[in-house]
Amino acid sequence: MNIIIAGLGGVGTALTDPLCRYLQYSIEIPGPVTVKFVDGDNYEDKNYERQSFVSIGNKASIKAAESKRRFDRLNIEAIDEYINEDNISDIITEGSIVFICVDNHASRKIISDHASKMHDVIIISGGNEFVDGNVQIYMRKGGSEITPSLTDYHPEIRNPSDRSPEEMSCEELSESAPQLLFTNLTVANIMCWVFFAAVVNRKDPVNFAEVYFDIEAMSVRPTIRKPLNR
Amino acid sequence: MGKSKRAQLEEKTVAELRAICKDQGITGMTKKRKDVIIDALMKTRLPKQTATKSAKKSASGVVKPAGVGHTAKLAKQANVEPVTRAEFQMSSVLTKPSAKAGDKCTTAIQVSCGAASGKFPVIGKTVGAVAEFLREVLNVDRLAEGMVNGDKVEGSYVLKEGDTLEFLKPAGQKG
Repeated sequence: MNIIIAGLGGVGTALTDPLCRYLQYSIEIPGPVTVKFVDGDNYEDKNYERQSFVSIGNKASIKAAESKRRFDRLNIEAIDEYINEDNISDIITEGSIVFICVDNHASRKIISDHASKMHDVIIISGGNEFVDGNVQIYMRKGGSEITPSLTDYHPEIRNPSDRSPEEMSCEELSESAPQLLFTNLTVANIMCWVFFAAVVNRKDPVNFAEVYFDIEAMSVRPTIRKPLNR
Repeated sequence: MGKSKRAQLEEKTVAELRAICKDQGITGMTKKRKDVIIDALMKTRLPKQTATKSAKKSASGVVKPAGVGHTAKLAKQANVEPVTRAEFQMSSVLTKPSAKAGDKCTTAIQVSCGAASGKFPVIGKTVGAVAEFLREVLNVDRLAEGMVNGDKVEGSYVLKEGDTLEFLKPAGQKG
């Protein structure tokens, strides 16, 4: 099993620990497991409110080193780069399961577009605003779409108004919308639900292809999404 | 004590429920989940009951088909029994083209946007009008596309009984 966690911010750091624990100890997970942590960003003091790192430096490298010590049965790798069109083919290979925890739609589009050309791949993408958000699953099997791509029902991802972190200026990177730790935790949690339902229990992902939540309204709603006719 | 109608329906498979919907003229159920189909069936009287009641009434001679504008005098002139009761059947082409006699009318359908969802009396209204009507309640984005029964529709689409409407909420950006 080849797992990729793209983005190690508030959602990514909330996801890595329970996911790696499950991958290491669950009898449901067959064979060797590789987990790639991908992020070109550095952990800084300003991130302490929502993110868990043991030291300052590249997020992927720090988290990988920390996780290797705790989950020694997993083959954990660090890729200290942002995913872009040049490196994506090397990072996301056939049969991968990708958890997208990035903070911009431009990166989601790059990954979704790449996956749309693959034979077998599962993308679980989470995102949030201050108190609400969503999780999408894009699954391809045998060269066919089982669920819609990330862009099919989301024009804001298809035509992103933001830019990937590599393209942003330092000012843009430092200007970040406020986020709530509990909302990040909810995204990570629902990404685990979706992984468990679709990958472990092999439920039909069409029935929960997109899950919305709102922690202020105490509400979670899965929605049925079928691939668009192309 | 016999099982409730809902319990009986819940024992059936989705395919069986869809077949019942088809028999009863309930449309738009092919893509619905089981609970939605059962809800739709719960709102509808079984056609057998309707047919039986009508048949009994007609056989007893109490109820006769009524022509519009006929009076007792005209009936006397025509040497026929005067009409004592009238039974009307009403259905709306806008809301339920396949409506049959005895079908219960409902004006509410499921409308959702993001995690927010509820039943609202919007049958017969356009998707565009509902977006305005529920903008504050469901936090509908001004540019949100409407989807009826899983398919994207124009703002001019008129909602019918059995439809479910979703306004697409933009994906969360941050992480």
